[in-house]
Order: sequence, then structure tokens, then C-alpha cells
Amino acid sequence: MSQKKKPAAEIQEQYETNIDIDKSEFEFVQQDDKIYDKKFETKPIGYFRDAMTRFAKNRTNVYATVILFTLIFLSIVVPMVTTKRYTGQEYEVRFLPPRVPIVERFGFLDGMERVRDQRVDRATIDPETGLGIPPSELFNPDFIQMDTLQNYTTSCQDRQDFCYGGQNILRFDDPEPDDDGMFSALLQSQAFFSVNPAQNPVLRVEIADLSEGSTLNLWMNTHLTPTDYDLVLAITEPGVYDIDFQDAFENLTFFSSLIQLELVSEDPEGSVSLDAIRLFHGDTDDEENIFQEDYGYDLSLYALIEGDANYHRRNGEILWAEFRFDRYQQVYGERLRRAFSANRYYALLEANEDLCVRTEHPDNPDLLYTFSEGCPVTRVLRQTEPVERDGELFYSYDIVVDYAIISGFDDLPYYFFGTDASGRDLFALSWLALRTSLFIGVTIAFINISIGIIYGAIEGYYGGRIDLLMERFAEIIGRIPWLVTLSIFVALLGAGVTTLMAILIFSGWIGISGITRTQFYRYKGREYVLASRTLGAKDSRLIFRHILPNAIGTIITASILSIPLVIFAESTISYLGFGIGHGVSFSVFGVEFSGVSIGVLLADGRTHMFARPYLTVFPAIIISILMITFNMFGNALRDAFNPSLRGVE
Amino acid sequence: MIRYTIIRTVWIFVILFTVISLNFTLLRLAPEYPPPAEEEREIYFERQVRDGLRTRTLVRDPDQMQLIRDREADLHKNAYWFDEGELIRLYEPVPIARQYIAWMGNILTEWNWGVSQSVQANVPVFDVLVSRIPVTMMLNLVALVFYIPIGFVLGILAALKKNSMADNAISLGVMIFISIPSFVVMSLLVLTFGYQLGWFPPQYPPGDIGGIIRLQAVFLPVLGLSFGAIAALTRTTRAELTEVLTSEFLLLARTKGLTRPQAVVRHAMRNSMVPLVPGIIFSFVGLLSGSVIIERIYSIPGTGRIFVNAMMQNDYSLVLGITAFYTIVGLFAVLLVDLSYGLVDPRIRMGAKK
Repeated sequence: MSQKKKPAAEIQEQYETNIDIDKSEFEFVQQDDKIYDKKFETKPIGYFRDAMTRFAKNRTNVYATVILFTLIFLSIVVPMVTTKRYTGQEYEVRFLPPRVPIVERFGFLDGMERVRDQRVDRATIDPETGLGIPPSELFNPDFIQMDTLQNYTTSCQDRQDFCYGGQNILRFDDPEPDDDGMFSALLQSQAFFSVNPAQNPVLRVEIADLSEGSTLNLWMNTHLTPTDYDLVLAITEPGVYDIDFQDAFENLTFFSSLIQLELVSEDPEGSVSLDAIRLFHGDTDDEENIFQEDYGYDLSLYALIEGDANYHRRNGEILWAEFRFDRYQQVYGERLRRAFSANRYYALLEANEDLCVRTEHPDNPDLLYTFSEGCPVTRVLRQTEPVERDGELFYSYDIVVDYAIISGFDDLPYYFFGTDASGRDLFALSWLALRTSLFIGVTIAFINISIGIIYGAIEGYYGGRIDLLMERFAEIIGRIPWLVTLSIFVALLGAGVTTLMAILIFSGWIGISGITRTQFYRYKGREYVLASRTLGAKDSRLIFRHILPNAIGTIITASILSIPLVIFAESTISYLGFGIGHGVSFSVFGVEFSGVSIGVLLADGRTHMFARPYLTVFPAIIISILMITFNMFGNALRDAFNPSLRGVE
Repeated sequence: MIRYTIIRTVWIFVILFTVISLNFTLLRLAPEYPPPAEEEREIYFERQVRDGLRTRTLVRDPDQMQLIRDREADLHKNAYWFDEGELIRLYEPVPIARQYIAWMGNILTEWNWGVSQSVQANVPVFDVLVSRIPVTMMLNLVALVFYIPIGFVLGILAALKKNSMADNAISLGVMIFISIPSFVVMSLLVLTFGYQLGWFPPQYPPGDIGGIIRLQAVFLPVLGLSFGAIAALTRTTRAELTEVLTSEFLLLARTKGLTRPQAVVRHAMRNSMVPLVPGIIFSFVGLLSGSVIIERIYSIPGTGRIFVNAMMQNDYSLVLGITAFYTIVGLFAVLLVDLSYGLVDPRIRMGAKK
């Protein structure tokens, strides 16, 4: 008989009054019914199915899983199918910036490199724009995007030729006064100034600063006799001074002389700051007439030949260029190969027989042959003199090759992530590195799970004193800081993959043993275990046949998360340089790996972080995505298989 | 409680002793690398003799000397000798057990941790450490002060607005930052803010540069250290608070007539903080060992960087000192956590009496 819920007070009242109900008022609920098995209206949902439903319910986790498996797939496939080189060294193609088809049209990842801090070759300065570019040996001007070209200056004090302009300062150190109580020091130019009266020579001296009470004397040897120097000019104030030789000297004949500058001062703190010394032929207003000039770097080369003083440079400027540069064009364009051995040359021609049609140039002394389009060799400049050795003639050619064709590309290649310091394709390399990381992660996690399960099973199954001892042992191992483990294994085994694996296994199993232990405590008291034990089953049978299969689902799903942890640790140790050595290939259980992991790639990229951030960014993004999706996948899997959440909507 | 404290303390010292002893013994098994410079090497070996780690023998017997010169004598693999013509000064290590006793004795009686071999040759290990600890500690404490409030606020926000947009965004952020290795985060931070934008110095300034740059330089490493910690703290705060929010005593508080904010602040938050405190203590240890890699990326002259240098140059005396430092800090954090558990939760210290 169904009874509606009554308020508590009312029930209380009923009990207290102790109502008497007659027996005949009771009836059996199902006395006349026949009970049949009812068919379930819904389909039965099994354990896995339920887990899958719950797993699929969270869209984000599904996406994460799809991305994760795509990453794993790519890490296996990309190194297999790529046409680019990801081993060895090729100096020519190092540091190519990333270039991706389609995206490149939007001016992004288009293989253009922003080049900064390149010294400008002043000879290249364009009079119209006033902008200069670096020497063409380094950067072919054809491939510089001229509209992005910018020049800027920084100050410098070096006595270097790229340091431009500025003043040169002569200052006394600790001078001895002469008989008149004056201090002096003498400078002498490096170059001879040639004065030809026929060309109306004018010498201009620019003095930026001259301390009070000091005189700067300019001496020149005007007679063509070796030693005799004449005072040409005595300066007491800063300013620009012109010496018109024809006005200053009677009977001027041609002479060529060094310039000597003498600083004479009554003050031991005296100094002079020189801007420039220029020799004009003709009108001094026109810069075209400068015949010879010393300023900036040239002026700084003047030698101190007398007196205790120092001579140094100030306020110089370095001119730098910044521009976008098409390195692909430069790298894969035409390249001159000197002394290319005849054997290789003929082999190259033979391999491309149908493409290379030779044209001879008998009239041109600088060009032997040209070849048709599509041939790896575009021109042959000359054949070197043959050398005879052991009766055989050896000779070589100076040839110009098309680097794209000779590297096996029809067109400019696309390096999606660019190339690294050894000219390897970073794209293929990243996936290769990911594969290494994944493989190590999975292998180590497998080993750790196995050890953890066995250890935890023994602990949980036997319990008591054994459990206590083993727990203490695990605690000690778990409490050792990873720096200690690292130092011990690196010291004893040296850095390398063995060390890496030893470090990761050393304390990696503890978490899993803990999970297993709790699971064993949960199941070991169950009736079916007891039943099996009464039937005489041994411990091993109880552990492996009865308890473990029940617990294994929870243990495994919980341990999936140890894979990203291992990858995390692996990349960290490799990044520090104690894990996988760079480029040293190794094999793990018979599987060959080239020695790169994401940690290694990032460690390599660290040195080029400023100029070539892509070397850091791409591996960083890949490992970040891997870690994020792996964690989401692991969490989702754990939640989905969690028995306590079963059937929860 | 006293009994519990004593047991925990003794146990921590047992672990500390085991770890340090194990480390010493195993590192002594590795080949030894004395200082590279000749004169430093002599001083180094003399110190080793004084510290009782080696013996010095003067070999005058010509046959014996010839044997040593031809490297045919039966010597220990870590033995070194100086050839002085008429005699050979031979420095041989004593057996590891005796080295261990001498080394322990030196530490316990004179606080003498030995001398560095190659990083700063012949400088006492303890002095090297002391010169490096302040920077590391400063950065880690700043990171601690920086990350705790942020983690709390985000965690509380997520728990109170459970299953809202804000909660989802925070959870996603937590998932991202807990997953990305700290060296990746730090690399990207340095790349973006150090090099590309130039807001902060791209490297920790060397000792002679001071002032505002030094202050600015703290920012990036603190950020690099904090991201993972913030994510972890947010996650635990959210989990704890969510659990407490659904508990019955909170319902009781509400039925008593407290408003939701009152109930949350007075009852829920206090109770959810209890398990978080140990987490924070542990997180300091995590920060400290995580700063090894941050220090390397940002060239910070701290203990982590000198550890990597010492490992690279096989300076095992220094490695021993640094690892001992990390072990001590780590284990005392464990002790602190254990004791605080005992203080906070009587059930735990009762359990220890069994």
C-alpha cells in the first residue's frame, strides 16, 4: 500500500496514538499478479560504452584528442615523406626563414627575413634616397626589398673604419713642462698630403674645441727635403681655418708632406678636439673639389710621436641598415663554384644529359660555355691549368651553378618552419623531435607503470609490515630532489639517453605504485577473492588473476597522465643539456633515433633568440600543443573511466 | 602532539641523512676532476689531505717512481702525482667509507663543505653557495608573493561562478599553463617582452649594473616562475572551494540566515584554505627547483645556474653542496607541512599514535 508522505508531526502523532488497524485492511501488493521479466526499454550500456559516451560529451576533450592524434600521426609520417633534408650539415642553407605557401601572399611567413644591424658600405649610399646597403658579398642588392630599407646610426668610439665621423681628442696625460713651462705633444698623419700649386690648393683645418691658453701648430715639410718642417698655421681658437698655399707661400713648388699637429699649452689639462683636415683643389665651397681628407677614422690613425699624451676618438657614428631580405633567392640563386673537380663536373652533366645543352663562346675570354635553362650548371667560366700527377692529368673548372636545381628543387623550396644553424629543415626536424619525445615518453611511462603496478600490488596485497617498509622506502626515493638524482646519474653515466631514462625511471613509478596500492586495498577483501583463496589459490594467482584485472582500468587511465609528465621532464633535462646529446643518434630497444628532441631544439634556438625567433617559436608551439592536448586527453579519459562517475549525466 | 612532532622530525632527518650520504658516496665513485690550473691543483690536493679525503705519500724509490711515471703502478683511478725529479708527491684518495666519515665530520664540527674544484677553484663550497642564494631566494619569494593572491582570486572566482563563461575561460587557462613546460613559457616571455618589444631587459643584468634595470629584470623571471604555480593554485583552490560550497555545513549556515557572501567568506573560504596551505609550502620547493631552468634561460647568477655550471664542469664538491641545499629546503618544507597538518587536523596526529 502506497502512502503519501505525511508531515513529520502528523506521523509522530499517529505513532503516539497507536492506531489499531485491522488485519483485513492489509492486502498483498502482487498476490494476483504474475511477475514476468520485463524487457528493458532502453539498450543496455556497457562499461566502455558508458565511458565513451561521457568522453564524447565534452566537445573540448574530443577536439583535444583529435589534435593529439594528428600530432602523433604527423610525427610519424612527416619525417618519412619529407623531401627536405633533416640530417647532416649544409652551411649554405642555414637560417632560412619560414616560408609557407598561400600564407606568404599575405606578407606573412613569406621567407623574407628582417635583417638588422648590418653595417652599411658607405660606397653604396644612393644620392637620391641617402640610404646605403651592406656589401654585396653578404647581401645581394637584387634581393633586398628597397622600400623597407632603413638606415640608422649608433655612436662608437672604436678606432675602426666602420666608425664614422666624430672628433679626435688629444689630451695630456702626465706631461713634463719644457724650459718655458709649456707642455707639448706632437701628432703625425699617416698619409702624405701632395700640394700642387697648379691646382690652387687650399688646406682646411676644422677644430671643434681648443682649451684656453693652448695653441695648435700645424707643421708641413714644404721643401721636399727630408726633415725640415715649417710652421704653416698656429691656431689659438676653435673654428675652421683655410690655408691658401699660394697666398701663404712665395715661390711655391710641388711638395708632398706629412702633417704634424703640435699642441702647446701652459696648462697640463690642455686639450684639442679635431674635426677634420681636408685638402681642396680649387674652390673650397664645393665638396667635389676635395682632393684628400682626413676625418673620423683616418684622423684617428694619426700617430703620437712626441709628448706624454693620449689621443682618442669620440662621438663617432656607425651607420646600420635594416631591411627585409629574400634569403631564399640569394641562397638558391646562382653560385660561383671555384675549382670544381672535373670528375664531379662531368658526372653532373651526365646525370642531367637531356637538360644541359651546351653553347660555346669562343670569342669571350671570360666565358667558356653557357648551358640551357634547367641545367644545374649555368655557366663555365674557365678551366684551370691541368696538374699532372702519376701520369694522370687533373684539372678543375670554375663554374656557376643553379643552387636550387643542384639541391634537387625545381623551384624555390618551402621550408615551413625555416632551417636551423646546420641548414636542416626545422619542420621535419620538429616532427622528428616530437616522435623522439613521444617514444621516450611512452616507453618510460610503460616501464614506470609496470614497476609501479608490481610494487603497489605487493604493498597493497600483503599490507602490514611489508606495506609499511615499502612505503617508507618509496617515500625516501620520492623525497630525493631531482637535482640529486640528476647529479648522481650524470656523474656516473655521463650525459646521454641512458642517463635520461635512468633519471626518469628512478622516481617515476612512485605515483603509480600509490594508485595501485589503494586499488588493491579496495579489492583484496572482496568475496570473490576470499572464495578463490579458500579454494587454495596462491598469492600470485590472486594478485594477477583476480585483483589486478579489476583494478587495471583505473590504474591505466590514471597513469596515462604520466606520459606528458615524462615528456615534460625529458624536454627539461635535454634542454639543460644532460639528456639527449645534440645530433648523437641512439637506439632505444632497437628503434633508431637521431638525437633531437624538442628540448634539444629549444636549447639550440636559445642562442639565436633575438635574430631568429622562429627557431624557438615553432618547437615551443608544438610541445605546448602536445602537452595541453595530452593532459586534456588524459583527464578526459580518467574521468570517463572513473567508476564513481558512471551513469552521471 | 609532541610525540608526533618528534617522530616526523626524526624521520625527516633520517631521509636528509640518507639522501646526502647516498649522494656523496655515489658522486665519489665518479672520476674526479681537480682544478685545471697547476698551482690551484696543488692547493686543492693539500686541502684534500687536510680534510682527510686523501693521503699524501712521498715516493723516493727510483723503481717505484719509474713505475708511476710509466703509469704502470697500481694506483687508484683518482690518484694524482706531482713529479719533482728526485721525488714524487703522490696524492691518493682514502677509501670511500673513510672519506665519508671525514667529510661528515668536517661538516658537523667545522661546517666545512669542502672546496669547489673548477667553477671557482679552491673557494669553499659554502661561500660560493652563500654568494648565490640571495638572488635565487629573492626571485622565488617575489614569485611567491606575486602568485598566491592571483591564484586565490582566480580559483575563488572560478568556484563561485562555476560552469559560467569565466569559469570555463579560467579552466582553459589553467590547463594551458599547467601543461606548458616552464622553459617554454620563459623562452617565449623573453622572446616577446625582452627582445621583440624590449620592455624588459632580455637578460639578467650583471652585478655592476644597478638601479631601475635591476628592478625591471625581476619581472620576467618572476612571471616565468609564476605561470605554472598560478595555474596549480587556481586549480586546487577551485576544487577545494567547490567541494566546501556543496557541503552541508554551508547549507546550515545559509539556513541560519546568512547571506551567500557571508556564508562564503566566513565558512566556505576558511575551510577550503586549510588544505591549500601545505600546497603553498610545497609550491615554494617547486618554484625553487623550477628556477634552475629559469636561471639558465635568463642568465641569473643564482644557485640553479651554478648547479648547471658545476655539473657541466664536473665540479662535484660544489654539486654536493648545492644539492644538499635543495634537499634541506625541500625536506624542511615537508616537515613544515607535516607539522601544520598535525596542528590543523587532530585526526592526523591521533593516527600517528598507533
